Amino acid sequence: MLALTDLQSALGAASLGGDAITLAPAIIGDGFEPEQRLSIHRNNTTFLLCEVLATTYPVVKKLVGDDFFDSVARVYVRTQPPRSPCLFEYGGGFDAFLTTLPAVVKLPYLPDVAALEWAWNESFYAVDAEPLSAAALAKVDPEAYGDLIFTPHPSLRLVASAYPIKEIWDVNQCGADPDARVDLHEGAQHLAVLRANTSVTFIELSLGGFEMTARLSAGERLEDAFLSGQRLMTDFDPTATLSVLISAGAFHTFFI
Amino acid sequence: MDQLAPTAQSLASPIPSSPLPNRAGIGLKAQHYHDILNTRPNIGWLEVHSENYMCAGGPTLKWLTAMRERYPVSLHGVGMSLGSAGPLDQAHLKRLVNLDHRVEPGWVSEHLSWSIADGVYLNDLVALPYTPESLEVFSAHVREMQDALNRQVLIENPSSYLRYKHSVIPEPEFLLSVVQQSGCGVLLDVNNVYVSAMNHGFDPIAYLDQIPAHLIGEIHLAGHSQTNIEGRTIRIDDHGSPICDEVWALYEHLITRIGPKPTLIEWDSNIPSLDVLLGEAAQADAIMTRCGQGPQTEVSHACVD
Repeated sequence: MLALTDLQSALGAASLGGDAITLAPAIIGDGFEPEQRLSIHRNNTTFLLCEVLATTYPVVKKLVGDDFFDSVARVYVRTQPPRSPCLFEYGGGFDAFLTTLPAVVKLPYLPDVAALEWAWNESFYAVDAEPLSAAALAKVDPEAYGDLIFTPHPSLRLVASAYPIKEIWDVNQCGADPDARVDLHEGAQHLAVLRANTSVTFIELSLGGFEMTARLSAGERLEDAFLSGQRLMTDFDPTATLSVLISAGAFHTFFI
Repeated sequence: MDQLAPTAQSLASPIPSSPLPNRAGIGLKAQHYHDILNTRPNIGWLEVHSENYMCAGGPTLKWLTAMRERYPVSLHGVGMSLGSAGPLDQAHLKRLVNLDHRVEPGWVSEHLSWSIADGVYLNDLVALPYTPESLEVFSAHVREMQDALNRQVLIENPSSYLRYKHSVIPEPEFLLSVVQQSGCGVLLDVNNVYVSAMNHGFDPIAYLDQIPAHLIGEIHLAGHSQTNIEGRTIRIDDHGSPICDEVWALYEHLITRIGPKPTLIEWDSNIPSLDVLLGEAAQADAIMTRCGQGPQTEVSHACVD
């Protein structure tokens, strides 16, 4: 007789595509091969988890087509199954996984689109917090600006790509113009992903602005963050970036 | 049936903060958020999958809060994996406790099954072998869950597609032993009884008749599909089609015996417009009115009302 823990290990492995050699003798066939009964559970696990990925990565799915997506998702599900029953948290490494697939070499922007969709997902489910208002900041002595340290809004995520992933995302939304085309040579894109209110938005930043935002998010002083941005971009305007970020609600609070 | 009466522990459990009415409710799906808030349909209550609302924040929780202000809600878990041999996921249990505090549900329920092996969540409700070992593991996990929540929970009978040679306890008997050892109540899923009965060749009426009325806190009704494997049919509990006539007939039989109970209309795939769910809810309400008012063969009392 199989101990419960051994039975569950064996059935779990079989549900993820492994063989059922140790398990089959414990299953009552009753008109079926034990393997046929186990295949119902394998289908449940595979199909439903692939559906979870399709829900989180609709643009990736649209870009590669249903068949290719399903075959890729099946491999992902079997090699990186969820460790938590909260499936809105499942699929975090899908962008890195895509980069390992030879077929994706022809679609170099695809992992970045996946990263953007994951950032959207994380932002959507992030904890609610009051965005920092410009009025609160106005009370700070301008002499002290350089020492400001910001706490990012919990929904803030940063995604950079060598491709125009925001446009790719836009034209693949429901209701988008079906004839819209994206020029892949449009250049690099630096995005802040944010849900300060109800819906998730993308904010396009300059190279320097992106660098500064990343440094601020990591808890650096405003002056240090600005200098890091300026090193990447000589004509970097930190005031404009800061103003965009604050009006979008990218920060939660600050201290000096 | 004395040995199946609720234990002292269950009788001492707190009364649900928002008990579900003895009416039909529907499973809350994101597709219907707007329709429900805009039209305020006359339904008794709503049920959600707990795991979908364990996020830290965001619009999903706001929707749930808005629903809870208007309807009683029950939390139906699919991820606790009470039947797994290993320890319960403590982080998951804590998230459920937090959600329970936030929602103040009429009931919290889980499944007589397992979903986690070697730390992997299979997103599937797999049947247990009904052995003394499983009974000990499962009952201890139900007690742990109830202790963490400080409330009685309901355990739902599963749909199953396979049985194990070393299973020695009939499923209804196993379920009632869990009740006896943990003080939980029963969520009786009529569709699951029918699916398993067809898949394994037992009498669904005999199964239903074994569950005493006073242990039943809630009923589930759903549709299922049929898959053909080499000329033989197997029924799959996919909640993706209307409730079939046979399940309605079993429900009538059950309600005639036990009287009206909170009854859920459950859809999880091919989700139709809200009207379809409301139509099935009205049908369940009509059956409760027509069949549930006569003299019941058992008095409904104790842990539920």
